[in-house]
Amino acid sequence: MAAKAPLEEEDTKPQTLLLTGILSNTYRACINTAAPSTAQNPHVTEDFRLPWLTGMELLSDTNQNKHFLPTGLQGIDALLGGGLREGQMTEIVGPSSSGKTQVCLSSATYVVDKKFGAVLYLDTSNSFSPNRISRFVNQTHPSLPKEEKERRLQMIMSNIYCQSVFDIFSLLDLLHHVESTLKHTVKLGGSKLCLLIIDSVSSLIAPIIGGKNSQGWCMMASVGVLLKKIAYEHNISVLVTNHMVGGENGTLKPALGESWKCIPHVRLLLSCCIGANHSTATVLKHTLLASGRTANFVIHN
Amino acid sequence: MGAGKPIEWIRCDESGREMVSRVLSGRPFIVPVPPLHRVPLRLGNIVEISGPSNSAKSQVLLQAVVHFILPKEWGGIQFGGLERKAVFFDLDCRFDVLRLSQFLTNRINETCGSISKAAFDKLFHSCMNRFLYVRCYSSYEFLSSLKELCYQIQRKDEAVGSGVHLLLIDSIGAFHWIDRSNQLRGVCKGKNISPQSFQEAIVHELHKLLLLQPLLVLATKASLFRTETPNEFQRSSISNISGERNLFFREYMPAVWQSFVTHRIQLHSPEWNLLDIVDDCACV
Repeated sequence: MAAKAPLEEEDTKPQTLLLTGILSNTYRACINTAAPSTAQNPHVTEDFRLPWLTGMELLSDTNQNKHFLPTGLQGIDALLGGGLREGQMTEIVGPSSSGKTQVCLSSATYVVDKKFGAVLYLDTSNSFSPNRISRFVNQTHPSLPKEEKERRLQMIMSNIYCQSVFDIFSLLDLLHHVESTLKHTVKLGGSKLCLLIIDSVSSLIAPIIGGKNSQGWCMMASVGVLLKKIAYEHNISVLVTNHMVGGENGTLKPALGESWKCIPHVRLLLSCCIGANHSTATVLKHTLLASGRTANFVIHN
Repeated sequence: MGAGKPIEWIRCDESGREMVSRVLSGRPFIVPVPPLHRVPLRLGNIVEISGPSNSAKSQVLLQAVVHFILPKEWGGIQFGGLERKAVFFDLDCRFDVLRLSQFLTNRINETCGSISKAAFDKLFHSCMNRFLYVRCYSSYEFLSSLKELCYQIQRKDEAVGSGVHLLLIDSIGAFHWIDRSNQLRGVCKGKNISPQSFQEAIVHELHKLLLLQPLLVLATKASLFRTETPNEFQRSSISNISGERNLFFREYMPAVWQSFVTHRIQLHSPEWNLLDIVDDCACV
C-alpha cells in the first residue's frame, strides 16, 4: 500500500536546470545568507569549485539546516542527543531480532507523522511491513476517531516511499538517481525528503567484500561517499542497518567490520535480553557525544 | 687576494650555528599541542597520525585546531594559542562543527572562568573565522582544492588577516580503494591514473605550498586494512615491540607519501588495553 515507485514522480522540474548555468558562479558560501529553501538550490552542487567555509559559516549552516529527527523511541533519542542528525549517517548494528528493522520503521513513521518530511525506505531483505506501520500509528494515536486515524495513516503511507533493492549495482544506480533528482528538485512528492533508510546495507555489501578483489572495497567506499554526500548536501538524515555474524571464538561481530566502521558518523549497537521486554542501545561511536553510554527502549508489539 | 680566493671558495656559506638560528627563526618550533607535546614539531613538518577507528585521531586534529586558532592573549587573559589560521580538508566527510564549537567554548570558559556574553561571542567569532573548511568527495576535488588554497587564503585573508600555519587532512587514505579500482578498470582512456600518481600530484602540491609558506601538516590515516587478524601469539609480540606494530597494519599509502612524511604517530584505541591514548604517541 505504501509501495510507490519513489523516483518516477512527475514533479521533477527540468526548468531549474536553466537556472543552474546562470547561477553556477555563485559560491556555496551564500548558504548562510540565503533563505533555507535556496540552500538546496541546484547551483550549490553544480559549481566545480568547492565551497570554502569558515568556522562561523559552517556553524550557522549546521544550526539552520541540520536538525535532529526524532526516532519516536525515547531511549534512543535521549542517547543520540535528540535523534538522527540531518547531514549525518547513523548506523544501527545488532544481532538478528534485536529490533533494527523496528527502529527503522518506527523512525520512518514518527518522522512522517510529525511532518518533518518524506522518507525513502530502501528495503534489501523484504522486511518493510506496512502492517507494522499501521500498528505504530494506532499506538501513537489511541484516542483518535477511526476516520481521523484512517486519514493520518493515509498521509503517513503516502509519504513513505519504499523501494526494494537486491544488489549493490541497483543500490548505486538508485543513489546516483536520488542525488541527481535532489539536485534539481527540492521536494519529493509534495514534501522534502528528510530521511533515507537502508535496511540492511550490510546484506548488499558483505557478499562482495573479501578475497583479493578490490572492486568490492571500492563499491563499499563509493556507497559510503555517496550516502554522506546526499546527507550533507541536501540535509538528509541517513539511517542504515548492519547485521551481525559469528566471528572467531563464537562472538558476534558486525558483518561490515573495521573498514566500514570509519564511514558512518554514529554507530549504535542494539541488543535484546531474552525475557526482558525492552532492548538496549549502546553508542559505539558518535561525533559529538561520548561513546559507551547505554539506554533502554521499548518497542511495543 | 689571489691566495684568499680559494680559501673563500672552500669556506662554508654559513656555520652550523648560523643555520640553526636561521631555520629556527623562519620555521620555529611551535608551542606543543597537548596530545603531541612529546613530539617536537616545527612548521614545515608533515605529520601522519595513524590508528584504527576509535583511537581519537580526529580529536587530536581538533585539539591542534583549537590551539592554533586561539589568540595568545586576549583582553588581558592568557590563552596560549597561536592566533593562526587552520585549513581543514575533510575527505572522510565526518567533521562535526558542533564538536569544534563545543571544544572551543570549553577551552575559553576554562581559561577565563567568567566572561561576559558579548566578549565571549567576539572572541568565539574571531577564533571560528580563523578556521577554514573544505569538503572533498573525490581525489580530483582534493587536488583541485589544494591548488586553490593560496587563492582562497588570500581571499579570506583580507577579512581576517593572519597567516595559515596549520593544514589538516582527515583522512589521507579516504579514496584509496576508489582510486585503485578506477585504475584497474582503466576509467581514463589511454592513461591510467593510479593512486600513486594521485598521491604524487598531492605530495607535489603540498610541497609547493610548503615552499611558499611554512605550514604544519597533520594528516590522519585510518589503519584498518588488515590482511589477517593476528593470532594470540602475534598479538602479544605486537604489544611488546613497538616497531612491529606497523607490520600488523598494512601500509597502503604509496612510497611517495611515506617518504614525504616527516613524523609518524601511531594511536591506539583504548580497547587494546595498552596505555592511555595520550601516552601512546610513539614517534617513529
